[in-house]
Amino acid sequence: MVSLNPVRILRNEAEEERAETARLSSFVGAIAVGDLVKSTLGPKGMDKILVAHGRSAGQVEITNDGATILKAIGVDNPAAKILVDMSRVQDDEVGDGTTSVTVLAAELLREAEKLIEQKIHPQIIIAGWRRATQIALASLEKASVDNSGDPEKFHEDLLNIARTTLSSKILSQNKEYFANLAVEAVVRLKGSGDLSAIQVIKKLGGCMEDSFLDDGFLLDKKPGLHQPKRIEKARILIANTPMDTDKIKVFGSRVRVDAVSKIAELELAEKEKMKDKVNKIVNHNINVFINRQLIYNYPEQLFADAGVMAIEHADFAGIERLALVTGGEIVSTFDHPEMVKLGHCDLVEEVMIGEDTLLRFGGVPLGEACTVVIRGATQQILDEAERSLHDALCVLAATVRETRTVYGGGCSEMLMANAINDEAARTPGKEAVAMEAFSRALRQLPTAIADNAGYDSAQLVSELRAAHSKGDHTTGLDMEQGVVGCMKDLGITESFVVKRQVLLSASEAAEMILRVDNIIKAAPRRRGPDNRPC
Amino acid sequence: MNVMHPAAKMLVELSRSQDIEAGDGTTSVVVIAGSLLEAAEKLLARGIHPSAISDAFQIAANKSVEILTKMSRRIELNDRESLVQSASTSLNSKVVSQHSSQLAPLAVDAILKVTDPAKDDNVDLKDIKVICQLGGTVDDTELVDGLVFTQRPAGANPPRKVEKAKIGLIQFCISPPKTDMDHNVIVSDYAAMDRVLKEERAYILNIVKQIKKAGCNVLLIQKSILRDAVSDLALHFLDKIKVMVIKDVEREDIEFVSKTLNCRPIASLDHFTAENLASADLVEEVSTGGTNKVVKVTGIQNQGKTVTVLVQGSNKLVLAEAERSLHDALCVIRCLVRNRALIAGGGAPETEVSLRLAQYAQTLTGVDSYCLRAYADALEVIPLTLAENAGLNSIATVTELRNRHAQGEQTAGINVRKGAVTNILEEEVVQPLLVSTSAINLATETVRSILKIDDIVNTMQ
Repeated sequence: MVSLNPVRILRNEAEEERAETARLSSFVGAIAVGDLVKSTLGPKGMDKILVAHGRSAGQVEITNDGATILKAIGVDNPAAKILVDMSRVQDDEVGDGTTSVTVLAAELLREAEKLIEQKIHPQIIIAGWRRATQIALASLEKASVDNSGDPEKFHEDLLNIARTTLSSKILSQNKEYFANLAVEAVVRLKGSGDLSAIQVIKKLGGCMEDSFLDDGFLLDKKPGLHQPKRIEKARILIANTPMDTDKIKVFGSRVRVDAVSKIAELELAEKEKMKDKVNKIVNHNINVFINRQLIYNYPEQLFADAGVMAIEHADFAGIERLALVTGGEIVSTFDHPEMVKLGHCDLVEEVMIGEDTLLRFGGVPLGEACTVVIRGATQQILDEAERSLHDALCVLAATVRETRTVYGGGCSEMLMANAINDEAARTPGKEAVAMEAFSRALRQLPTAIADNAGYDSAQLVSELRAAHSKGDHTTGLDMEQGVVGCMKDLGITESFVVKRQVLLSASEAAEMILRVDNIIKAAPRRRGPDNRPC
Repeated sequence: MNVMHPAAKMLVELSRSQDIEAGDGTTSVVVIAGSLLEAAEKLLARGIHPSAISDAFQIAANKSVEILTKMSRRIELNDRESLVQSASTSLNSKVVSQHSSQLAPLAVDAILKVTDPAKDDNVDLKDIKVICQLGGTVDDTELVDGLVFTQRPAGANPPRKVEKAKIGLIQFCISPPKTDMDHNVIVSDYAAMDRVLKEERAYILNIVKQIKKAGCNVLLIQKSILRDAVSDLALHFLDKIKVMVIKDVEREDIEFVSKTLNCRPIASLDHFTAENLASADLVEEVSTGGTNKVVKVTGIQNQGKTVTVLVQGSNKLVLAEAERSLHDALCVIRCLVRNRALIAGGGAPETEVSLRLAQYAQTLTGVDSYCLRAYADALEVIPLTLAENAGLNSIATVTELRNRHAQGEQTAGINVRKGAVTNILEEEVVQPLLVSTSAINLATETVRSILKIDDIVNTMQ
């Protein structure tokens, strides 16, 4: 009897999708992800609550940042996974634009779906898109403005960019204040772009406007008992060594004696050893000693005798930053004082924020260092404020390196869309259809912004398009009034790097997903439930 | 409370944050936030965009703080009357309200002792130690200018009272020597065992001799996790030389004790000298209502700026509540140190703000005007709740309150004792300005962030 079962090539439980089904499943996944984050776009975009169900079950986070949302949800669809990854890379590279890039990629795929139905081959679509990307990039570069020659205008640019970045986040309530704060912090970096010199401390209580920028370095620790609470011209030794006991770190080691007096001697010897260690440390001619691990009572007292401020239990990140900021090295042994590099600062003192006392290191040699203290009503607000500030700082640091700027509010998107349309009208062949689809996708970004604000998006976008066609290249959407306006006057500026990265990443990701026409799922090996983020 | 809903969790955090900031008004802030959210819901139903509501609420909050500040009156820290009045108001809503005439001045005295009115603008509440003792009644609560230990003196027959005491605060252990590594003592015959015992005795005798030489007659020993802080043999010797021993002082308490005694904790025997001891006039074991005794140290030379409050209660629940209420009262006075202004209580500020905001809203146009009016109406929930909880007719009371405020009587409030609306300042019901402004600011901020949310996503982390 001839078996009527289809020939089975893959193992049991493995799946394969082909052609239409494969494309459909990738489109559906990507479009779903795009729609999820679309409502957070723009100054009137909304936030989302993320409720954790896995390891940290019951914890709640509020966020507007696309990358954070996407990192938290677990997706199964492979196309969606690609978009999530792309958003993460955008976050790492530039810091902002994570939502825009996801929405743009999703819109491109939505357009592609319609083209496929018209029986246009994916390779043609891809060729059309590549041309469109080049044209868009060229027009974006032409429209960019470079103000690095004029420091005052550049400063104005930075403020505008900070304000625009923060306008869609929770900090938009105190936009002006935080934009000034962020620009001040980045300007202090003097172009190094090393954000690790800016420390962010969160303290519950107060409201967001109580946050401030402190030009010293704050450490969330207290000095030991009876030690000087305030030291000027500090010489700092940063260490990572146990100061509670100097045990032999061999497991199960024991001492066998035959008289109690010997034990007393041993005890005394241990004490002497600790005393020696403290003396060696003090011999470095320091007045502040910071240890990553515990400092027990006896050495604490010895330090107090010597007039040295000893700080214990500082965490890894704090130690590394402190070393960077004060210019010292982290040491573990103290036999060679000459070879050790000490940290320096002008003043170490205690300050009180809310209910806690912290240590402030003022006048550090790395003048770029500073600390931002964020206050807020709840922990979720604090976390989101930190994320938003971090985004703004990343964008500003990127702008300091690559100083060109473009106008936001949908202006650049419309500019690129019009340029592509003009070129498409001159191109024969089916690639023109693909290019027009690309420009339609680009126009969806200002549409989403207008929709989120509740205005008539079709009306506004058509007005915007008309204005750009007439040659008015600084027009964009004004979401305060709900009309089209001049972005230059309103000061809605974005960094060129952000826009370029959004364009390139989105089109690359969309291309890659479009080229797929076969999805093979491997048979899973036996294992427990998978709770990792995707 | 174990809260599941994420927005509710935010309100829990809000209350905690108000506790950190002002210490009192933790209930009011959640009630205000709830009422604002209800108002926002109605506005949303009318089709107003959440960001518009959010912006309008911020304008409303700023204006409210302005109105409150205008209503407030400045005080100086030496105006003890006003301070006691505001502490009493805070205690009036708690279980221990009938003892407020005793607890309020106590709280005021405690804070005044640890602050310097001329230059301080913040109070470290860790300088005031609150010790709870079961037994007696809340009336027996007292302020001790010195130290109180709930641990009894150790030993079989310790001295109960030491005058002209020299106190040593030690962090090492008076017990047979123990190294930090594991160790064993191996004896092979009886003579060796005898020798071991003798050496142990000699070792401890040595330590005790040195203690006696320094002239110490009260010993405070820190609790040690590694070994016995004081061995029985040591206690026996110390008893012989008439030293009062108090052991098991917690590591966290050491800082407070050393600040009060103005002496250093001694970490090893070689530091045990006469200069490192503290002196006090009297260390005595007293009984506090019932069968409990505590050790009081008073008359300390060069005492640091600290103070101890001994709270007593007849059962654990009352005791815990008394401690919490005292903490609230202390926080209220702390608020006054930080922001030296008072406003009348009894629902008067909320009504005033509500009225003036509504007037201001009429001068605006557009969506803002609508939202501000809703905000003003929402604030009325506080006097409404006060009246209802007092058993009065809430609507009649609140409308009369509004009427009186509209006629210019800024200090008209709900007098719960008389059951009517009267001039609340005469009743001496006042609260610090910081509590009200902080409540409004924090509640508005939380409501604004909740308004911005439009989706709840379950995550896998």
